[in-house]
Amino acid sequence: MDLRPLALAVMVSAACGGHEAASAARHEARVFAGGIAPPAGTGTALENPFRGDRQSAAEGERTFGAMNCDGCHGGGAVGWVGPSLRDGRWRYGGSDADIFQSIYYGQARGMPAYGGLLPAGTIWKVVTYLQLLEPPANVPTQSWK
Amino acid sequence: MYVVTPYPNVLYAFDLTREGYPLKWKYRPPVDPNALGIACCDAINRGAFYADGKIVYNLLDGHTVAVAAATGRELWKTRIADLSQGETTPVAPLVVKHRVIVGASGGEFGIHGWLKGLNLETGRIVWTAYNVGPDSEVLAKAGTFKPFYDRGAELALTSWPADVWKNGGAPVWGWMSYDSSLDLIYYGTGNPAPYNPEQRAGDNKWTASVLARRPEDGTLVWAYQFTPHDSWDYDAASEMILADLAVNGRPRKVLVHFDKNGFAYTMDRATGEVLVAQQFVEVNWAKRVDVATGRPVVDSTKLTGASRGDIKDVCPSLEGGKSPASPAAYSPRTGLFYLATNNMCMDYQATRATRIAGTPFIGANTPYHAGRGGHLGAFIAWDAAAGKKVWQTTEPYPVWSGALVTAGDVVFYGTLDGWFKAADAKTGKVLWRFKVGSGVVANPITYTGADGKQYVAVYAGIGGDWFLLSGDVRSDDPADVRPPADFMPDIARHTSQGGIVWIFAL
Repeated sequence: MDLRPLALAVMVSAACGGHEAASAARHEARVFAGGIAPPAGTGTALENPFRGDRQSAAEGERTFGAMNCDGCHGGGAVGWVGPSLRDGRWRYGGSDADIFQSIYYGQARGMPAYGGLLPAGTIWKVVTYLQLLEPPANVPTQSWK
Repeated sequence: MYVVTPYPNVLYAFDLTREGYPLKWKYRPPVDPNALGIACCDAINRGAFYADGKIVYNLLDGHTVAVAAATGRELWKTRIADLSQGETTPVAPLVVKHRVIVGASGGEFGIHGWLKGLNLETGRIVWTAYNVGPDSEVLAKAGTFKPFYDRGAELALTSWPADVWKNGGAPVWGWMSYDSSLDLIYYGTGNPAPYNPEQRAGDNKWTASVLARRPEDGTLVWAYQFTPHDSWDYDAASEMILADLAVNGRPRKVLVHFDKNGFAYTMDRATGEVLVAQQFVEVNWAKRVDVATGRPVVDSTKLTGASRGDIKDVCPSLEGGKSPASPAAYSPRTGLFYLATNNMCMDYQATRATRIAGTPFIGANTPYHAGRGGHLGAFIAWDAAAGKKVWQTTEPYPVWSGALVTAGDVVFYGTLDGWFKAADAKTGKVLWRFKVGSGVVANPITYTGADGKQYVAVYAGIGGDWFLLSGDVRSDDPADVRPPADFMPDIARHTSQGGIVWIFAL
């Protein structure tokens, strides 16, 4: 399989993204949960220290409710105004670090930054909870009888 | 024809005098995308208002704008709401003389609900009237504030635990009306926050209420609470329709309101007295409304709260016997009101919620199921003088379309599965239907074109709660795939995302 055209496409889209961010900076602003900005430079760990740990996932699930995540992402993270977090698909990337950073620093389009409220370990447990959710057996096709 | 879109709130002006209806102009404001995550229930917009050569409307991110109707030039833009506190602004403004009246959503984010009056010429905020809190902020002044049923001062403060009112909700996201002879504006307030009622003992005035104010300075003249200590998310944001009806043989200037709580209220709009209150859908949270006291007679087994567990089968569901999203219509010819209704009930499991600014403040899990008969909705005709249903057409899905009734005794409405229908206003018999492709959650209009013909127009594009709940309808985000709604698993078969204005010549 020749991967060169794919790599080219990624480069082009990255260039477009950079241009857009520069020309419309306010559209990258974040909401801070509780009005508290996350401290800089701490959300950079790359691996989830609790990956696969059921106990941590249970704690993460409680945090998911207590921090009102379910108010936007729905009970069981099935999706509401915020996207589904249990479909195995990730708008901002699904690696350990991607999910952590989305929670810690927030995302434009209304995902609040929780890094000012929650210690990194608590966020990693939420990441653990989300990673252990069983994706539904959905396939790209939906059909009816 | 002016059309405002959901986020990002583009305003289009179509030239209806030319073939193909080309655009005359469009206006594309900058709108903060963070509003998408602060708006509780999809990125909808409830419409624009034309006044004094201006189109006035709200952007989702807490701004009101005025645009020159002829050119599309922005005349002013005013920040009215604070996203960081959970306030968003899908509501349609009401313009009364030189006042622009606006409110904010956020009953699911623990806002401190308010109504504001702006100067139409400049956009300057002239007054702010809170819906809950001390009389000085509610603009309830001794001598001018005369509620029909309540006595005493500081009602919107003493009906709350200390300080809880500050995040008590009472958003304004529905519709406002104006009576020029009484010089009163009427509007309904949304739910108290959070959904778990045990965190807010008391009546929680003036949430789930109708308020009558002076447009000039916001002074509160009367108020009435439909659902005291709301325990079911029964916003009273539905429209207040002003009509002259003979009630018990006496001509009355009334206000008619179809509440989420399932009761239709016919009220004296000068005083706030309830004349008639009858259920227009299946109701079981209350047995009736006592018009002598103005209070519902609540079934205590349907009261909710974190300590009460999962309360099963509460009717109607929190989507409402009628949604405030779907305004009713009144025909003085038939004397009847026409409205879309939901035939749905819910289970309600409240949990303790913590307010964190910028995040939801809800505290309940509330799955829905169909009410008696199994159909999820109906379109009905209502006699508001007698408090009786006259006819009903059942629909397989919840009906979230506004209604339009014409002098030809034809009533129009759309369905969630993408039909636009015309029915005989006297009998309900469906005369015509057309598949518009996407669910209708907008309000049809009628007008006389430049060619002298009568037209009917409707915006087709499923949105709001049903769009979010029937997750498999959406197809705009490859990183977001959801299962169907368990109570209507096949809706995605009949509707897709839309966004088209259909225009029909009669």
